[in-house]
Amino acid sequence: MELPVFADDIVGRIEALLLFDESSPMTLASGFFMLAFILFLTGYAVVRRAVTLRILYVAAFSLYFYYKLSGIYLLLLLFVALNDFFIAGRVAHDRRCCRSGRRWVVWSVTVNVAILAYFKATGFFVDLLEGLYGEGVIDMGKVIAPAGVSFFVFQSISYVVDIYRDRIRPLGRFADYLFLLSFFPKMFLGPLVRNADFISQMHSRDIAPSREDVGRAARLIAGGLVKYAVLAKCIGVLLVRPAFAGQLGDGGFVALMAVYGFTMQIYCDFSGYSDLAVGVALMMGFRLPQNFDAPYHSATITEFWRRWHISLSTWLKDYLYISLGGNRRGRLRTYWNLIVTMFLGGLWHGVGLTFIAWGLLHGVALALHKVWLAVIPGAAAVGWKMPWWRRVPGVIITFHLVAFGWLLFNASDMTEVAAMLGNMVGNFDTAQIVPFVESHWVAFVMMGVGYAMHALPTSFDRRVESAVIRGGFVVQVVLIVAAIWCTMQCSAMLEAADVAGAGLPIYANF
Amino acid sequence: MARRKKSLFRGWLTSVCVAAGACATALIPPAEVFGVKLHRTNVLSDISHFESDERDNVVEYEADIELLEQQIAMIENMQTSVAEQIDSTVVEPVRISYEWRTGDYSPQESARRPSSEELRPAADAAMVAIEDFDTLPQSRFDRFVERLVEGRPVRIAFMGDSFVEGDILTVDLRHELQTLFGGRGVGFVACDIPFATSRKSIKRRSAGWSSYSIMKPKAAPESLRDKFFVSGYMAEGGAGASTRWEITESYPTLAGAETARLLLLSREDSRVELTLNDTLSRSFDIEGDEALRQIVVESAPYRSIALKVLDGRVICYGVAIGSDDGIRVDNFSVRSNNGHAIFGTNPLINRQADVLLGGYDLVVLQYGLNIMQAGQRNYSKYRDQLRDMISYAERCFPDAAILVMGVSDRCVKNDESGAYEPIGSADALSAYQRAAADSCRVAFWNTYEAMRSMGGIKGFVNNKWAAGDYTHINYGGGRAVARALMLPIRDMAARKMEARERAEAAERRRLQRLEAERRQREEQMQMRLGAIADMADTLAGVTFQREE
Repeated sequence: MELPVFADDIVGRIEALLLFDESSPMTLASGFFMLAFILFLTGYAVVRRAVTLRILYVAAFSLYFYYKLSGIYLLLLLFVALNDFFIAGRVAHDRRCCRSGRRWVVWSVTVNVAILAYFKATGFFVDLLEGLYGEGVIDMGKVIAPAGVSFFVFQSISYVVDIYRDRIRPLGRFADYLFLLSFFPKMFLGPLVRNADFISQMHSRDIAPSREDVGRAARLIAGGLVKYAVLAKCIGVLLVRPAFAGQLGDGGFVALMAVYGFTMQIYCDFSGYSDLAVGVALMMGFRLPQNFDAPYHSATITEFWRRWHISLSTWLKDYLYISLGGNRRGRLRTYWNLIVTMFLGGLWHGVGLTFIAWGLLHGVALALHKVWLAVIPGAAAVGWKMPWWRRVPGVIITFHLVAFGWLLFNASDMTEVAAMLGNMVGNFDTAQIVPFVESHWVAFVMMGVGYAMHALPTSFDRRVESAVIRGGFVVQVVLIVAAIWCTMQCSAMLEAADVAGAGLPIYANF
Repeated sequence: MARRKKSLFRGWLTSVCVAAGACATALIPPAEVFGVKLHRTNVLSDISHFESDERDNVVEYEADIELLEQQIAMIENMQTSVAEQIDSTVVEPVRISYEWRTGDYSPQESARRPSSEELRPAADAAMVAIEDFDTLPQSRFDRFVERLVEGRPVRIAFMGDSFVEGDILTVDLRHELQTLFGGRGVGFVACDIPFATSRKSIKRRSAGWSSYSIMKPKAAPESLRDKFFVSGYMAEGGAGASTRWEITESYPTLAGAETARLLLLSREDSRVELTLNDTLSRSFDIEGDEALRQIVVESAPYRSIALKVLDGRVICYGVAIGSDDGIRVDNFSVRSNNGHAIFGTNPLINRQADVLLGGYDLVVLQYGLNIMQAGQRNYSKYRDQLRDMISYAERCFPDAAILVMGVSDRCVKNDESGAYEPIGSADALSAYQRAAADSCRVAFWNTYEAMRSMGGIKGFVNNKWAAGDYTHINYGGGRAVARALMLPIRDMAARKMEARERAEAAERRRLQRLEAERRQREEQMQMRLGAIADMADTLAGVTFQREE
C-alpha cells in the first residue's frame, strides 16, 4: 500500500492555504472547509454554554470563512453590518419617541440597493456607454460582485424593516448582529432566515444537535454534496455550458437537452448547496428553513414559487410584494404588484434583457394564474388539491414554462435564446439523437439520476431520512465519506478531460 | 429521554470520522471498474502527493535524438521502397491525396513583389535584429528571405504556447506578410480541441468528435497516443462527427482562400463529405491505411468549409486554408507546452504533414513562458532541451529555417505589496535560448528586448495590449509584437530586394547598352551598305557611260 508523500515546503503551503486565494474560493464543499470545521466544532463544544463567548467565537470564524471566500470584500460585509446595526438602533429610537423611523429605513434601503446596483449594473452601463461612444470611453475596471453579497444585503434589509414593523427588537450588541448576518453556513447562498426565529436560536442557552439532528444533517450533507458537486457540475460542464456556447453543433435535440439539462443543473446546484448549508448548521444545532421542496412537482406556477428557493420567495413576498401593497388594494393592483415583484426579482439577477424577460415571464404567469383561479370554478392553487387529470397536465405545463424560463435565464443574450429555439423547432433531426447520447453519455446518466431522484415521491425522501437516522453512526459516516469520494472522483474525471468545472455555485454570481 | 439528549460530541465525532474516512479514500489505488476509470482521491492534495501519481500523470517528454535518427532513416527507407514498388508496379501504393477541383476554380495570381522602398522599415523604427547564427554564405534563414523576395510560395509553421493561442500575434504576422508578398487565408486550423477556445480569424463549430491534446496523452486511447503531429491536437470521430470552419472578416487578407488541405488518418475504410459555402458538397471514399492522407480542395474563393464523417472512423487533425501562392502562416499553439511536446509527436506524421502541406520554409519556436520562475536565473537544463527541440524540428522539417523566439516579458505579483513586479528572469532565459540557437546555428529573435523597447509588459497592460495577469498579451499586443518581428524581416527583405533591384537595373542598363550598340552597329551597317550601294551605282554608271 502506498502512502502519500508530504510536500517539502509543507509549512509554506499550509500558510498559503490559510490565506484567501482568488482562484479557489472556499465553499462548504471544499476539503479545506471540512478540516477547518472539525477545528471549529472542537472549540465550539468548549464555548457552547457561554452564550456571549459562543456568539463571538462563531462570528470570528464566520468572518474568517467569508475572507476565505471573498478576500477583501470582508470589509464590505463589515460595512453593511455596521451601517444597518446603527440604523436599526436609530429606527428603534425613533419609534420609542413616537416617530415612524421611516427616513432611516429609506436610508438603509438606499445604501443597500446602491451596493447591489453598483455590483450588478456597472457592467451593463459601461457596455452601454462604450456602445454609444466607442470603447475605452469609461474605465471602471471589471466589477465582479463579491460572493453572497445579495444574501447578506437582503438579510440586512429585512432586519431593519422588521424593527420598523415592530416584529423584533434591535439587538443590543454589534457582535450579535454580526453573527446574524455572517453566520457561515448561510452567508454564501442562504437560505435567508427569519430574523425573529434565528435570534431566538442564537440566544438560546443550550444549542446542540440531538441524535436525530445529526442523522438528518448527515443525509442533507451527503445528498447535498452529490447534487451540488457531482450531478450539477457534470451536467453543467459536459452538456449545458458547451451546448449554450454552440460547441456541440446546432441540432434541435442538443438545444432541447441543453435546456432540460440546465433545468436539472440549476436545481441540483442550488438545492444541493442549500442542503449542505442546512446540514452544516444542523451539526451545530441551528435549524435553518427549508429552501427547496421538490419544485418540479408543482402543478401550477404559484405552487412552483412556494417550492423553489422558498426563503427568497418569502423574502420577496414579505419585504417587496407587501411593501408594494400586496393583495390588499384590489385585484388589478395585486396582478400589477406580482409582475413588478418578479420584474425586480429578474433585474436583481443581472441587468440585461434575458433576466428582465425571465422576471416578466414569471410575473405575468403568476398574475395570469391568479386570474385563472378567480375565473375557473374549482381551480386549485396547488397540485395536491387537484384531481389527477388536472394535476398531471399541470405539472407538465408548469415544468416546461419554468424550463423555458431557465433558457432565458442561462442564455447570454436574446440572440442565443433565438438560436436555441430556432434549432429546437427548425433543426430537429432524430438521426442525431443516438450518436449524441452515445458521445455524451456521462452527462445523460447524471441527468437521468437527477430527474429520477427528483421524480420520487416526497414520502420516499422521508423514509430515506429515517433510515439514515436509525442506521446510526457508522452508516452516517460511510454515507458522507462515499459522497465525498464521488465528488472527488467527479472533479478528477472532469480535470482529466481538461474541462475543469466552474468552482462556484451558479447563484454565487447573483 | 436519553435519545432526546443534545450533544455536540456525536456531531464532532461524525465530522472527525468523516475527515479520516475521506483522507483514507486516498489509499484506494486508481483502478478501472466496468470501463469507468477511477482516479485517486487525495483530500490533502494541496500539501501531499503520491509518487506513483506523479509518474502517471505528468507527461515528461524526453528527447531521444538517436531514436529519431533511426525513425527518420526508416521513413526514408520506406519512401525509397515505396518508390521502388511504384517502379515495379507490383503493389498498388495507397492513395495519399484526394483532389477536388470545383468547376468555378480559376487560380488567382496573388503573389506580389513589393519594392525595396515599400519593404524598408521607417528609419526611426526601433528594430531588434534577427540574429542568424548560421554563418555559411547561404544560410537557411537567408534562403527563406530569398524566397519571399522572389515571390515564391512560403509556408511558415509557428509553434508556440498559450502566448499565441487563438491566433494572437500570428494573425497579424500573417496579415503583414500577406499584404506585402501576397497570399490569402488563415493557415492551419485544428478540427476540434478538447477545451473551449476562440480564434479571431476563424469560427469553428464542431460536434461529435472525441478530441485529444498532446499535453494529456493519457486521455487518448492507447492506439492514438503516438499519432500526434506538431499541431498538438487530434479529433477522432465516427459517422455524424462534423466540423464547420468559417473564415471571419476581421482582416481583408483572410478572405479569398481558394485551397484547403485537410489532413486525416483513416485506418479503416471510411467515407467523408466536404461542403463549401454550405452549398457545394462532395463525398470521398477513403481506403483504410495507416498513412497520413490529405484532401486537397481547389475552388473559387470560399467563406466556409465543412467536414462530415459519413461512415467509418476518421482521425482528423485539421485543415490548412490558403492559396497556392504567396504566404501561409500556420499557428500551432499548444497551451502550457514548453516545447517538449514535440518529442511526443510522431516523426513519420510530421514528415508526411510537411510534404503534404507544401513543405515548410520557416519554423518558429516560441516557448518558455511556463518554464520561467521568479528569481531563477539558471536555465542551462532548458537550454540543452531546447537544443534537442531544434534538432528534432530540423529533422522533421528538413527544408525549413528555424527561428527561436525568446521568452516574452512578464511580471508577477508580489505577495507582500500586491503589486506586479518584473519577474527578473526573462533576460536570463532569453540569453539561454539565444545560446541554444547559437550552438544549433539557427536564427534567434529577442522578444523580451522588443517588448521592452515598447514599454515592457507594464506598458502593454497600460496600453490594454495585455491581460491583467501581466503575462499574456491580447490581439492588440500581438499586433505590436508581430509588427516588431516584421521589422527585421522587412529590413532583410528590403536589402535583398535592393540588391536584386540594383542587379536588375544593372542588367537593364547592360541590355540597353547592348541594344544601343546593336542599333549603332546596324546603323553603321546600313550606312556602309548605303555607301556600297552608292558605290555600285556609281560604278554601274561608269560602266554604263563607258558602253555609251
